[in-house]
Amino acid sequence: MIEVEHLQKVYTTKGNLLTRSQVHAVRDVSFRIPDGGAISFIGESGCGKTTVGRILAGLETPSAGVVRLDGADIHQTPTRERRDLRRKIQLIHQDPYQALNPAHSIEQALSAPLQIMAKQKSGSPRAWIRERMDEVLTMVGLEPASVLYKHPHMLSGGQRQRIVIARALTVEPTVLVADEAVSMIDVSLRLGVLHLLRDLREKLRISLLFITHDVAAARYLGQGGQISVIYKGLIMEQGLTEVVIAHPRHPYTQALLSAVPVLKGLETMGADRFILAKEMNAQSDAQAGCLFADRCPFAQARCFTEAPALIGEDHQYACHFPEVRQVAAVAAE
Amino acid sequence: MSAELMHGKSAEPAVRVRGLNVVYATSQGDLPAVRDVDLDIEAEKITGIIGESGSGKSTLVMALLNSVGKPGKIVSGSVMVPGVGDMLSIDRERQRRARGKELGLVFQAAQNSLNPLRRIGHQVLDLGRSHEVRDLRDLLRKASDLLTRLGMDADRVLTSYQHELSGGMRQRVGIMFALILDAKIVILDEATTALDMLSQASVLEIVRELHKERGLTTILVTHDMGVVADMADRVVVMYGGEIVEEGPSGSVLSHPAHPYTQGLIRAIPRISGAIDRAVPLPGAPADLKTYLEPGCPFYQRCAAAMPKCQANRPTSLTVSADRKVACFKVTDHD
Repeated sequence: MIEVEHLQKVYTTKGNLLTRSQVHAVRDVSFRIPDGGAISFIGESGCGKTTVGRILAGLETPSAGVVRLDGADIHQTPTRERRDLRRKIQLIHQDPYQALNPAHSIEQALSAPLQIMAKQKSGSPRAWIRERMDEVLTMVGLEPASVLYKHPHMLSGGQRQRIVIARALTVEPTVLVADEAVSMIDVSLRLGVLHLLRDLREKLRISLLFITHDVAAARYLGQGGQISVIYKGLIMEQGLTEVVIAHPRHPYTQALLSAVPVLKGLETMGADRFILAKEMNAQSDAQAGCLFADRCPFAQARCFTEAPALIGEDHQYACHFPEVRQVAAVAAE
Repeated sequence: MSAELMHGKSAEPAVRVRGLNVVYATSQGDLPAVRDVDLDIEAEKITGIIGESGSGKSTLVMALLNSVGKPGKIVSGSVMVPGVGDMLSIDRERQRRARGKELGLVFQAAQNSLNPLRRIGHQVLDLGRSHEVRDLRDLLRKASDLLTRLGMDADRVLTSYQHELSGGMRQRVGIMFALILDAKIVILDEATTALDMLSQASVLEIVRELHKERGLTTILVTHDMGVVADMADRVVVMYGGEIVEEGPSGSVLSHPAHPYTQGLIRAIPRISGAIDRAVPLPGAPADLKTYLEPGCPFYQRCAAAMPKCQANRPTSLTVSADRKVACFKVTDHD
């Protein structure tokens, strides 16, 4: 079980005393993932979703807030224990083309983390490493004999992403942080990787934090899990995946759902679909009201002066004027 | 001849490809990357070319511009563009002029197609000089109008370096470069693939609007069936260097004929409908080995494969008005 409470991350930009400014990458994020559970963070580039993932994976220290893995604060434990905690949380990088060293064979890529682990295991380390490599490769749906000798350039995007996942699995993690894990690979192979991640969740009881801008991908992975819609480091809407997609309340969630292409001939466009014309303006942070107000097509005077709080029980949203709109495409037939 | 073609009937395709073959020279001999492609790009329509990585879609597009990079080489075929002629046989100087002037290309990763050392405005001037534009001031004005039309602060963009712009902005700058010399045929090669959903939706919206406003012929090259389904009038499905299916997008999407197209459509993660309706496409995309097989390139992954498919290559046949399919299952009736 992983628990995150009131996470904050502030970056200070370089410059002299006068020009130095602060960027609030994560303002206030809380969530929990039970063992084998999943939570998807969705939002556009620059909304802070990647920072949440990096803090969880231990690559960044939060400015405030705690991350607890099975009760232990991962940023406060003594160095020796922290190493083991970090092993349990693994990050799957966005770009499988850059996450693997092009000069190393798949065997080298997978055996590096195992060599460290092998020291703690009894028996012949070489045989154990071999066995474990075969095991994880089979788990991700690859034939060990046909990929181990290969270099990354000999594999397709989907296969590379499977290797990256296999490498994360070698150290027996309990939490996987998948940062845009499918956005760089072909759509035809995306679903295969999504199914794989879902299987890992179910079979190995691995908790999953899935970071994406693609609502449809979040839907496949997050069955029975949660969705958190994040904008400028603040949670806009949060709830069960199915509920948030079918009955979005926050205009930002609705904008994200509207942006999903409509499949002509198979789906009809949602009646209230709208396309956001304005881009995110990182400078307009200082405003007092709702962070999304300057782009929101439904904003009213109150939105610019008063920040909405996250309200609701199971399905939470931070909006003064929450209204369900039918923006998602509907299957024809 | 050119004047006649330029003002020709609307039935005249904007690009007519015949018998196009492109090979890549490797240590194991020449590998076919685009094989026997016949294709008519309809004028003033949006045509979507869809395929996985390695399907030959980008090579096909580069062949339209006759700029296939080494080790690739065009072995045979013709690419007729009204007003230009056959891109594959006219002299190099005329080809160079046609690129940009007649055929605009928006690259896959706009960040890699912009010069990192020069401001955007300077690059507009460079483009003008290389195409002998007399009035450079007017060109800048046009660039600024286009950028405003694309929803950006033109002055800021023109004085920026590419690293100062976001991904969505760079992609729009790429569109500006493709349109500034008034190209009528615009090719977008995976132009929205690297963008997040919101920027993708707004860039696509702009492409759709400009397409209408300027009467463009737009070619969208992508691996994302969703984008094609949303935007295109016609879909061209490529697999293993061949066109396996072609037709109006609505009808192809609702009644795909080729097993590959069927699998591709089933594999789209969707936000509507039952969650288990989506099934991953089995197997790996076409690779070097696939290109050398004598039979159907999709044979290895096809659930409906027959013994015949292994040894014989199906040819693309017209199955109904406007629809062409290359599959024995569909075209054989005996």
